[in-house]
Amino acid sequence: MAIDPHGTAPPGPVIETTALTKRYPGDVTALDGLTVSVAPGITGLVGANGAGKSTLIKILMGLLPPTKGQARVLGLDCQRAGERVRSLVGYMPEHDCLPPDVTATEFVTHMGRMSGLPAVAARERAAEALRHVGLHEERYRQIGTYSTGMKQRVKLAQALAGDPRLLLLDEPTNGLDPAGRGAMLELIARIGAEFGISVVVASHLLGEIERICDHLAAIEAGRLLRSDTISSITRASQVLLVEVADGTARLADELGRQGLDPRPAGRGLLVPIAGDGTCDVIRDAVAGLGLSLARLEQRRHRVEELFRADEDAECPPAAVSASGGRHVA
Amino acid sequence: MTGIELRGVSRWYGNVVAVNDITMTVGPGVTGLLGPNGAGKSTLLHMVAGFLQPSRGQVTLGGEPAWRNPGLYRKAGIVTERESAYPFLTGREFVRAAACLHELADPVAATRRAIGLVDMVGPMDRRIATYSKGMRQRIRVAAALVHDPEVLLLDEPFNGMDPRQRLHMMDLLGRLGGQGRTILFSSHILEEVEQLSGTIQVMVAGRLAASGDFRAIRRLMTSRPHVFLVRSGDDRRLGAALIGRPAVSGVELTRGGLQVSASDYGAFAAEIARLTRDEGIRLRELLPADESLESVFSYLVSS
Amino acid sequence: MSPETTGVIHDLGYQRYDGGRLGRMQIVRTLYWYSLRAAFGLGRGARAKILPVGLFALMCAPAVVEAVIVARGGTRAVPYDTYVFPLRVVVMTIFVAAQAPELVSKDRRCRVLPLYFARPLHRGDYPLAKFAALTVACLAMIDVPLVLLYAGTISSLHSGSAIWGETRALLPGLLIGALWSVTLTVVGLAIASFSGRRAYTTGAIAVFFFLSWSLAQFLVTVGGRGPVTQPTLAGLVSPFTILDGVRLWLGGTATGPLPAVGRYGPAYGLSLLVLLVVPALVLAARYRKEDAA
Repeated sequence: MAIDPHGTAPPGPVIETTALTKRYPGDVTALDGLTVSVAPGITGLVGANGAGKSTLIKILMGLLPPTKGQARVLGLDCQRAGERVRSLVGYMPEHDCLPPDVTATEFVTHMGRMSGLPAVAARERAAEALRHVGLHEERYRQIGTYSTGMKQRVKLAQALAGDPRLLLLDEPTNGLDPAGRGAMLELIARIGAEFGISVVVASHLLGEIERICDHLAAIEAGRLLRSDTISSITRASQVLLVEVADGTARLADELGRQGLDPRPAGRGLLVPIAGDGTCDVIRDAVAGLGLSLARLEQRRHRVEELFRADEDAECPPAAVSASGGRHVA
Repeated sequence: MTGIELRGVSRWYGNVVAVNDITMTVGPGVTGLLGPNGAGKSTLLHMVAGFLQPSRGQVTLGGEPAWRNPGLYRKAGIVTERESAYPFLTGREFVRAAACLHELADPVAATRRAIGLVDMVGPMDRRIATYSKGMRQRIRVAAALVHDPEVLLLDEPFNGMDPRQRLHMMDLLGRLGGQGRTILFSSHILEEVEQLSGTIQVMVAGRLAASGDFRAIRRLMTSRPHVFLVRSGDDRRLGAALIGRPAVSGVELTRGGLQVSASDYGAFAAEIARLTRDEGIRLRELLPADESLESVFSYLVSS
Repeated sequence: MSPETTGVIHDLGYQRYDGGRLGRMQIVRTLYWYSLRAAFGLGRGARAKILPVGLFALMCAPAVVEAVIVARGGTRAVPYDTYVFPLRVVVMTIFVAAQAPELVSKDRRCRVLPLYFARPLHRGDYPLAKFAALTVACLAMIDVPLVLLYAGTISSLHSGSAIWGETRALLPGLLIGALWSVTLTVVGLAIASFSGRRAYTTGAIAVFFFLSWSLAQFLVTVGGRGPVTQPTLAGLVSPFTILDGVRLWLGGTATGPLPAVGRYGPAYGLSLLVLLVVPALVLAARYRKEDAA
């Protein structure tokens, strides 16, 4: 069921694929029966290697027909309603894609007009988009003079100018230094939270995904590895981490005497939670021994564990699929 | 004696000073070279790799000068930022070529071992043109490891790698560092640097801003109160008790818990357990909020 | 309440766009205008204008000179349908060799095409808009001097029939100009679409046009033994002479490089068709590949 682009956000998934498969000549399988449903909000798309990720993006934008299966974006069939999908989606590519000899204002305005905005609206929305991404006087200089961080912002602005329902951001922090990354991530979080636009962030950096995403879709070998909310993936584990400045061994002994089961880990101890009072026991032990407490943390699970968990079960990169073709590892 | 040493090293291009009077020592283990874009990290790495001559000062690797010293490459392996691997070769051929160029006694075995280290045994007989970015990166690391170097220099080594490849590479670098090799790598991904090793060299605008373990560096920033997030059974009461302590300079009730600024880190850490016990307040979590590498780095860059 | 005691915080948050959106064809038209302006360096700074404007001035020069001659009572030497043929060849070759890459290779080089394809356009819309823009640009280069020539001539005429005669002579010239524009554009864009490096594509276009023209001239004069008076197929080696052959076939005067076309007329016609269709297909194909995105 198609949505009305001027209405409020529809309740259904923003992206939905069913057994999506794409095989290229040369027997290369980029997507192999991918079935995933992406809810509104900020979703991290992780794990997919280069070919799988770009293939998925092209299919979602209606630029490439799948070999098998179906894909829907915002309720529209990507194959049949590709043009409408593209008018509702803002895409920020991973690679450099900006002409060096125009100003940001000119470029974003032009791209706004290419999205179908009338001239005046395009100019206004371009100015607003550049303001939201944080480009001020720089916008009147030629893009060739920009730093990587500024270029990434221009890329984001051109995706925003057309008033999209969904943003597809491909490695938005690529090439940015830590300060730039922090700023970009903050911007994306703000867009997802305040602008009412659903965002899909394709990234290899699990820390980023944990930081700003609500959901996660992990793809591997062209298939869905896991799709879940970040809060459930990073749910608290039943282990406490204790770090003291000195006397870790003494603390371990004392906790052992108290019936807990501490194990050394890095600079501290991991203590399984035996009940509600475990943290009290630890507190009292630290206080009783006169130790300096540097950290007491209930460990949370991490997205990273998805990729460590089945490391042993993982097939070697040259795995042969049922059809005898190669997976692009 | 395989450390990297820089003494008074500068490098300028006309009026632009890319590296400004840096004296640093990098010992065995894994060290991260950090800095904002344009800080001079690549220039520094190129000088350490012997690709660039310092305008002033000396760069030595294991006691030998880095510049104009081909013998250096017997001890050092280098992985540059730009992707450079011949697309028409297979992975195996590429690493074997490196092995032969190093005049190793048994290039075939060395090749097989290096490729095994980076977990590229499966695709090693496919042409590099068919590799993904992460795979190309891994094969280049294999070529840099084929001669079993004592020193490894990497410029943004995780670029393009997917999570599994990253974890694998981090394990590999951690292992190699644990074997006593000297590994210096530059990266913007601070959470990975933090996980691999806490030892960092931070460059800002061509100068060396800080060296060493980042936690120790944080403790040195005594003018900045340490920020903690405390979750307790009674945040408000705990806050009231804490603000009365001289070690605490500020307390804020937030949705996530009690945010405490400790002007005296040592004193605060020493008394928090006792205080909560004596007040009968359950201490659920005590989390340093600005001790991460990310925080330390942003403090260094902004100061 | 006085204004000093109240205050307002305006909402500067993100606004949705509720206005109308233009359809696909209108977007294509916008891209067409944008490219047409780029073909003459408009909106790009002074440097980009030098070459196109300079070439245009060069093309107009004979028209201005002729107008002065006619005003002084002399007779017109420059016809409408061939104008000054060698000047046209040189100017248009340089123009297309410089501007086709400007329109097409630049975008490929900076990899902006994925952004175009991510928009509500069809794959063929981008090359279509570029084709329309460069064709109109070439049309301006070729036909505006003709119109200037016409205006300069009729300003010295006084009888209605003379003016009507001039007009009847002008119209085929404009048509030939249109044919030139379409042909040179489609060939130039097809070549330019192969690479993002402007140096290569500019060179390739220039070399193709100049070399084929030189070869045609050489063959038409039978290796320097003197101009040929018989119809010859030698003109098929160059787009310029193919165009001239078609012009002759359609009834033009022998004022161009070819002496006559005789029974070879259809051959020239067919060649022109091939010269239009094949590059057009190549151009469309270059933007249909998924790798362009």
